[in-house]
Amino acid sequence: MRQQYVRRSQFLAGALALFALAIIVQLTRIQNSPEAAIFRQQAENYAYEWKTFYPNRGEIYDRNGRLLAGQKTVYEIGVDLNTVTDPHAISFAVSNTLGMDYNQIMNVLQSPPEGISYIVIADFVEAHNALYLQELKKALNDEAPTGSVGGLTGLQFKAHPQRSYPENALGSNILGFVNREGRGYFGVEEKYNDLLAGNPVQVLVPTDPNKAFEIPDVADGTTLILTINRDLQAAAEDILDDSLTEYGATEGVIIVMDPQNGELLALATSRRMDLNKFWNYDVVYNNATDFNPVISKTYEPGSVLKILTMAAALDSNTVAPSTTYLDTGSILIGGVTIQNWDRNPWGVQNMIGCLQHSLNVCMVSIASQMGASTFYGYMDAFGLGHLTGVDMSGEAAGRLKIPGDSDWYPVDLGTNSFGQGVAVTPIQMMAATSAVANDGRMVIPHVLYAMVREGRQYNVPAQYGGSPISTQTADTLSEMLAISLESESSLALVPGYRVAGKTGTAQIPVNGLYDSSETNASFIGWGPVDDPQFMIYVWLEKPSTSPWGSDTAAPVFSEMAQKAVILLDIPPDTIRHQIAAQ
Amino acid sequence: MVVVFAMVAALYLNVTSRTAIAGRDIQELTDAIASSQQVSSDLQTQLAGLTSAASMKDRARELGFRPMEPDEVEYLVVPGYVAPQPINLSSSALPQLSALTIPPEYNQSLLDWLDENFSSRGIQ
Repeated sequence: MRQQYVRRSQFLAGALALFALAIIVQLTRIQNSPEAAIFRQQAENYAYEWKTFYPNRGEIYDRNGRLLAGQKTVYEIGVDLNTVTDPHAISFAVSNTLGMDYNQIMNVLQSPPEGISYIVIADFVEAHNALYLQELKKALNDEAPTGSVGGLTGLQFKAHPQRSYPENALGSNILGFVNREGRGYFGVEEKYNDLLAGNPVQVLVPTDPNKAFEIPDVADGTTLILTINRDLQAAAEDILDDSLTEYGATEGVIIVMDPQNGELLALATSRRMDLNKFWNYDVVYNNATDFNPVISKTYEPGSVLKILTMAAALDSNTVAPSTTYLDTGSILIGGVTIQNWDRNPWGVQNMIGCLQHSLNVCMVSIASQMGASTFYGYMDAFGLGHLTGVDMSGEAAGRLKIPGDSDWYPVDLGTNSFGQGVAVTPIQMMAATSAVANDGRMVIPHVLYAMVREGRQYNVPAQYGGSPISTQTADTLSEMLAISLESESSLALVPGYRVAGKTGTAQIPVNGLYDSSETNASFIGWGPVDDPQFMIYVWLEKPSTSPWGSDTAAPVFSEMAQKAVILLDIPPDTIRHQIAAQ
Repeated sequence: MVVVFAMVAALYLNVTSRTAIAGRDIQELTDAIASSQQVSSDLQTQLAGLTSAASMKDRARELGFRPMEPDEVEYLVVPGYVAPQPINLSSSALPQLSALTIPPEYNQSLLDWLDENFSSRGIQ
């Protein structure tokens, strides 16, 4: 009996062994068959996929660490078509919350494009709306079992960052904006787009979630620190807005710069846009030059350019401060008679008087004495007709006609000497005049103070655009301008601080002729004269209360300077001299 | 023999499952890092909005403050006072994520490990 069980067991074991062997043989055969190679190839094709890791866009701060451009979380709202149970409920909830068309959503959900299982209904949805829908979905799911009618099963939310500007319209002309594709337009966002955006990294990752892979180190985009002082920028914008109302000007600009290193501290323009609603660009601006007229809009500067003419005349030893001139009220140049702004003769004047009374005839005279070659050589050295290199997108070069150009005439030497017939941008005037305020050395205006990448900060050094005039000329002219302001009790004077500067009133050319009723009123000045720490340029377009820069732009300069010395902690001259003496 | 095979199979199963769990953990941690960074950026932007120039001006006015007039400023000479400098955002203590490398225990199969060990001992 026992023998019989043994045989049966052996037979059974043998049969099982044969069966196992058959399985192994079959496995081996299948694994080595031609079909197996095809399947292996197909598996390998889908085993890995390229995945792109995008860095977070760098942030933008002002010089004191105030965030000007950062990221906020928005949501992509989509539907997993395989799990949707009630498209009506989804359409109703989404259309009511996001203000979308119910029928449009229903059509998409009921007739989706072929071959897709997930469809995006809305993107860049604000967090509060997305969170409301998420809570609604949860509440409905809690009340009704999954899959029942009335639920939002299938509705999905994907959070992602979007550029956000917490100061809204403040400094919009400086910052520019980023569209939804992540590309920067205008200002710093465009100029430094590559730095801010960073470098995306592509990696081959396994599709099998059980396989580990090394996550690439994707460095965030470079963070930028600007030279802008947010509080000064806000003050400049407020002062500009008030001055437009007070003087009835159509547009305006206020620039505040450190004349010793070219750091732009504030750049106020009258047209500003809430950067969080960049799609309103066409509503706010007529053309691209309106976005930041400080760097893009060219105009005839008028008498503020007399500073450069006088600088050239002093530096070339054509005149000295005490040189006298008999002003007869008119002068002939190139066959055209040039008159003073008031069409009156001012008699014997020295060079300070020429500046103080802003005499066109005097300027034409000294430009004639210098000669076209010397005059235009200096204007070229001051950068007129050239880009300043300011680090914002959209700078215009302006136009300085020179002898030899087909449209240059001898009379242009005369008109150019008092700022007519030449097209400049406000930033060009700042850069050129900085040579007078900064011991003869011209700065390159800039808004980038530092770059921060992977925890390391690189401070951008100041750059200079040459020395068109000597230190002695610059100091002499600063003193002349300060005296001329003090002598006429200018509205530009700043109590407690000695300032130098010059008004400008330029007629506006319309269809080739100057309009006598419309002017560009401006003032450029700096202080304290013995150690300039701020330089301010005010430009008001077509002021209606008075056409003169001395009545409109000059008091705005004074108001801006008084605010600047408080915000920049610049003590009055007497206090400063006391501190220096200690 | 059967016991040996069973042990090897169990060991292989154990290593594979641990690798899979580690892979999942890495994915979850990656998502958590990205999510935390996003939340951090979001909160920072919200804070900046709450302390924006316009908001602070409104809050100051509500509290009864007004802009200072130039003639109201009094300057005091404070020995040793250093004027504030522009912000410095560098942080050398920032963790260097680029140094991160997954140890071979987490992405190496048992056969890879055996192969590596045999190769290192010159066993063909």
